[in-house]
Amino acid sequence: MDLDYLQMLMGEEEVVVEEKGEGYRNIWVVAERAGDELVPVTLEMLNQARQLASTLGAYVMAVLLGGDEALAQELIYYGADKVFLCDDPALKDYALEPYAKALGDLFAEKMPEIVLFGAADVGSELAPRLARRLGTIVLTNCTGLTLDAAQRTLVCTMPAYGGEYSEVVAFSPEVHPQMVTVRPGAFGRPYRDEYRSAEVETVAVDLDGVQPRVKVLNVVAQVEREPVPLDKARIIVSAGRGMGDAEGFALVEKLAAALGGEVAGSRGAVDEGWIDEEKQVGMGGVTVRPDLYIACGISGAIQHYLGMEEAKFVVAVNADENAPILKVADVGIVGDAKEVIPAIIEALGA
Amino acid sequence: MRIIVPIRQILDPRGFTVSPRHERIFINREEYIINPNDKNALEVALSLKDAGEAEVIVIAGGQARLDDALREAMAMGADAAYLLTDEVLAKTDAAGVAEALARGIEKIGDFDLIVVGQETLDTADAQLGPWLAEYLGVAQVGGVRQASISDGVLRVRRNWGAGYAEVEVALPALLTVASGANKPRYPHGGRIMAAYREWQVITWNSEDLGLTAADLAPLTQGRGRAFPPERTLGERLTGSPQDVAAELVQQLRLRRII
Repeated sequence: MDLDYLQMLMGEEEVVVEEKGEGYRNIWVVAERAGDELVPVTLEMLNQARQLASTLGAYVMAVLLGGDEALAQELIYYGADKVFLCDDPALKDYALEPYAKALGDLFAEKMPEIVLFGAADVGSELAPRLARRLGTIVLTNCTGLTLDAAQRTLVCTMPAYGGEYSEVVAFSPEVHPQMVTVRPGAFGRPYRDEYRSAEVETVAVDLDGVQPRVKVLNVVAQVEREPVPLDKARIIVSAGRGMGDAEGFALVEKLAAALGGEVAGSRGAVDEGWIDEEKQVGMGGVTVRPDLYIACGISGAIQHYLGMEEAKFVVAVNADENAPILKVADVGIVGDAKEVIPAIIEALGA
Repeated sequence: MRIIVPIRQILDPRGFTVSPRHERIFINREEYIINPNDKNALEVALSLKDAGEAEVIVIAGGQARLDDALREAMAMGADAAYLLTDEVLAKTDAAGVAEALARGIEKIGDFDLIVVGQETLDTADAQLGPWLAEYLGVAQVGGVRQASISDGVLRVRRNWGAGYAEVEVALPALLTVASGANKPRYPHGGRIMAAYREWQVITWNSEDLGLTAADLAPLTQGRGRAFPPERTLGERLTGSPQDVAAELVQQLRLRRII
């Protein structure tokens, strides 16, 4: 047989072995922290990773940069099967180059099959950079993750045009590792199970010659959110006389803050003196068109309805099951707003 | 100073309606616009040009219709435009376009700054900026709201958590600009005619970039679209406050309202 032909056959065989992605195992979650706390999207990713892992027959590995043992334990309580902790002092505060080097080296050695990053400040910068470094790609801002079991690939849902619909995209089977960034709030938080126990492995990182190239001058932790005019607001939480007293109205303000929305009121709330007249929704007040309108303790007389009928999604909380607002609401809750609102704030995890 | 801004194009959302009931998009008018976030990036580049000496170059890769987007960018104030297109480039995915743009930027060469929009409106794709920075081996800052230059050092205000951070970075560097960071300028009246009639868009094909069809093979597979649940009127939730609250929050998240 011709020797060239034989070599060609052997060459081909090698390529096939590479394409199977052998050696790429487990689902990795890159933990993101703000100071000494894990940011919520990290916990949400652990939740989703657990579900994928049981379908895939894989472990959930978490990697924590610059944190400590106690924070690594938290990752285990929330669902990690093992935590790789890089506690090098150079990783205490986020800087792109050392973080990318630490993760790049770790992933090159451990060969993860799937890697999840949070689509927050840090994950959004790091994930595409690492994807390029590892010769792969990343699908960003995912709000849904499922598996195509037949070809063992991730199927990702990404919001299109701000969520009008979603694009569903799968990785090609030859892509390893499959990397995604996960949009905060897309998945629920897992149960914190203090009975879970697992190993924390401290990993040394080689940061020789790696210098941060971006110098942080100062950080402003919180900016006062500028109030958005009601007619342009995306989320409005509105109070009516049914909130009972100023204390009840304060709950409405709290819910609006938790949702990042604006506070408004019906004529009743204005008459009670809880809110200024320019925040009144309805006839004689403002007409609003938010994506979400939550009416709390508002009966929904026609004068009010005319001011909010163009809201895309209406939620009403009212004690009176015959209140007209419940007939126009997309979701109606019959109950005491003073009990329901704190429960909603709790459920939002804020 | 040379600033390069990649430009992407999306289907104009004013030209279609989404019907969750039919699980379809009805296109009334197939028109394409510059990805709005890329206009924010262009505005950052043009305002740096306004503040000092700079040449702003726009570049786009993919389908031939990007020519329009590049001419609009020139009308807004860009000095030169490069279009990377041929049959192969028109068919690749976001990863292939990124590869082509990286090669194109290398071929243009001598850049000091690259400014990219953080994400696309149509597929929420936020890969391009950091991916290019890694390819080109330059420093990178994300979530940018404002930038200014003095003595070859770039000073940037970027989003950071619930607040912001002020950072400094030496050139060459790449910035990804946050969506809505600024109000992009309108095309300049005096430039519009010239941009569409006279000025050249330099076109390179995949061969010019040293890319083959195999290099540009898509790394992803489209699996269609998903639609939010249809609006149902007058649903009542019952149960304990905790139960109804959990159900409500889940529904709002499912519908992508929060």
